[in-house]
Amino acid sequence: MQAADWFPVFLSLKVAVLATLSSLLLGVPLAFLLARRRLPAHNLISAVTTLPMVLPPTVLGYYLLLVIGRQSPIGRLLEGWGITLVFTWQAAVLAATVVAVPLVIRSVQAAFEAVDPTLEAAARTLGRSEFAIFMTVTVPLAWHGILAGTVLAFTRAMGEFGATLMVAGNIPGRTQTLSVAIYDAVQAGNNSLANLLVLLISLISVAVLVVLTRVAGGRRW
Amino acid sequence: MVSLLICQIEKRLGSFHLSIDLRVDDHVTALFGPSGSGKSLTMQAIAGLMTPDSGEIQIGDRTVYHAEKRINLPPQERRVGYLFQNYALFPHMTVAANIAYGLHRLPRDEREQRVADAIAAVRLTGLERRRPAQLSGGQQQRVALARALVTRPDILLLDEPFAALDQSIRQELHGQLMELLRELPVPTLLVTHQLEEAYALSRTIAVYQAGRILQVGPRDQVYGKPYSMGVAAQVGFTNEIPGVVIETGNGSTRIRACGLDLLAPETPFRVGQSVICAIRPEHVMLVRKDMDRSGRSGTVIPGRILDELMYGGDLVLRFRPEPTGSGEPVPDLRVVIPSYVYERLGMATEKRWEVALHPAYLLVFAAPEPLHGNEGREEHEPGTFSAE
Repeated sequence: MQAADWFPVFLSLKVAVLATLSSLLLGVPLAFLLARRRLPAHNLISAVTTLPMVLPPTVLGYYLLLVIGRQSPIGRLLEGWGITLVFTWQAAVLAATVVAVPLVIRSVQAAFEAVDPTLEAAARTLGRSEFAIFMTVTVPLAWHGILAGTVLAFTRAMGEFGATLMVAGNIPGRTQTLSVAIYDAVQAGNNSLANLLVLLISLISVAVLVVLTRVAGGRRW
Repeated sequence: MVSLLICQIEKRLGSFHLSIDLRVDDHVTALFGPSGSGKSLTMQAIAGLMTPDSGEIQIGDRTVYHAEKRINLPPQERRVGYLFQNYALFPHMTVAANIAYGLHRLPRDEREQRVADAIAAVRLTGLERRRPAQLSGGQQQRVALARALVTRPDILLLDEPFAALDQSIRQELHGQLMELLRELPVPTLLVTHQLEEAYALSRTIAVYQAGRILQVGPRDQVYGKPYSMGVAAQVGFTNEIPGVVIETGNGSTRIRACGLDLLAPETPFRVGQSVICAIRPEHVMLVRKDMDRSGRSGTVIPGRILDELMYGGDLVLRFRPEPTGSGEPVPDLRVVIPSYVYERLGMATEKRWEVALHPAYLLVFAAPEPLHGNEGREEHEPGTFSAE
C-alpha cells in the first residue's frame, strides 16, 4: 500500500474527531435546554434536531449544498471572505456534524432528564452558580449518557457516506474519506484494497467502542 | 420586634390557590396540614425555588422578594438552608464533598475546618469518605442537615425531614433532631403532615388547609383551643356531632344533638343556633360497668363497638350509639383506649358499652352555612376550600 492510500484513514479520523467535538459543543447545551427549560419553540427545536435522523443522508447532503453552495446567501457571504466550503474536507466535517448531532441530543437529553432536578435546586440554595451546578452536578450525573452520545456520534461520523459525498465530493487525497474510498475501491474492482479498508474501519469503530465502554465502566458510585 | 420571617404571598397553580400571610418570631415553627395544602410550596417560595404571583418575603431584615418593588433574589443569594424531603444529597460526591459544596468561596483550610466541625456536630466523624448510598437514612438526614447549616444560613427549612425514613426509627430521630435544633441559633420552619411530629419538634404551629393558613399560634393553643372546626379536625378532634343550642347560662351551654342532651362549657352561641360539637377520641370516656356511675357528670351514651384497630399501644374503637328515637342517628364515635385497659375489661368478648362525653372536653363551633350537596370536612371552613 502506497503512502497516499493512508490518506482516507487519517482524513476520516480527523473528520470524525472534529465532528464529534462540534456535535458535543452544539448538542450538549441544546440537550440541557430541552431537558430543563420550557423553550419558546420547544417542539419545533426538538423536531428540527431530530430531522437529520429520519432524512436519507443524500437528501440531507442536498439540503446542505443548498445552504452552503456558492449560489446560497451563506455561500456567497463566505465567498466574500474568501472561504469556499463545498468540496473541501471542512464540508465533510459539517456533514458529519449534522448527522451526529441528533444522536448526541437524544442520549444526552435523556440522561439530563434522568438527573433529579431537586439536586440542582439543592445546589442553588447552597449558593453555586448555574454554570458551576451544570459542571459539578448535572454533567457528572449524566456522564454515562454523554459518553453514549459521544460513541454514537463518533461512529456515525466515521461511517458517514451519503451527505459527505454530496457536499465534500470524492477527491482522492483531498476529500476522499474512508467510507467513500471503500465505495471507490469496490466500484473500481479493487477488492483487496476494499477488504483492507473495510477491516480498518471495523477495527477503529470497535476499538473506540471498547475504549469508551472501559472509561464508562470505571466511573461508578 | 422584627419578625424573623415574613412571608405574605399569593400563587395560583392550576386550580390550586396559595394565599398566606405567615409571620414567624419563634425558633421552630411547624407548617402542619394535609399533603397538597401548600406547605412545601411556601418553603420553595422562601428559598426562591418558586416565584409567587404577588406579595413579599422578608428573611430577618432582608427583603428577598417583593412583587411591587420588583425584588426577586435568586436562591443563590437568599441565605436559606434547605433540607429536602429525600435529602437531595449528591450521589457522586462523598459526605465531606457534599457538605463542602456550598463553601466554594472559602480558602481551602478554612473550608476543611468548617466541614470537619460540621461533621463532628452531626456526629458523622469517620464517615467523611463514604458516598450517600453507603449511609443509613438517619445518617443521610444528618449529612443533609450539616450541608444546609455549614453555610450559616439566616433560616433553616426542613421539608418533611422524616418522610423518607422508616416509622420505627422516626421517634428516635425526632429526639436527635430536637437536640441539634436546640443548639442552633437559626430560626427553623418544619413542614410536616404528622401532628405528633409538629407537636414534638416545634413551639409554634401554623395549620394549613387547601392553600390557606387556618390558625397560627403556640402549639398548645392550636392543639387545645382550635379556632374552627377545620383546625379542630386536623389537630385530632375527629368526633363531630351536629346539634342546636337549647339553653345557655350558668357558665354552660346545653345542646340538643341527634336526640342527645350534651352539656358544654360556656360559648358565645345563642339559643336556636346550629352548632357542631367536637371531641377527641381519647376524651371519650368508657363507662366501667363494675363501678358506681353516680356522681359522674356528662352525657352517657349506650351503644356497641363495631370494630377496633391496634395503633401503637392504643386501640382505636368505632362505637355506634344506640338509636335515640329522635330520627336522626348519632354519628359513630371514635374512642381511643390504652390496650391494657382493653385487656383488663375483657373488651374482646364484650361489645356492648356505654361512653360518657365530659363537658370540659367538648368544643363547640358554629355549624357551617348550609351548603347543598357535597358532604365533607371542608364545609366547616367555608372560606378555605376554594382550591382542591
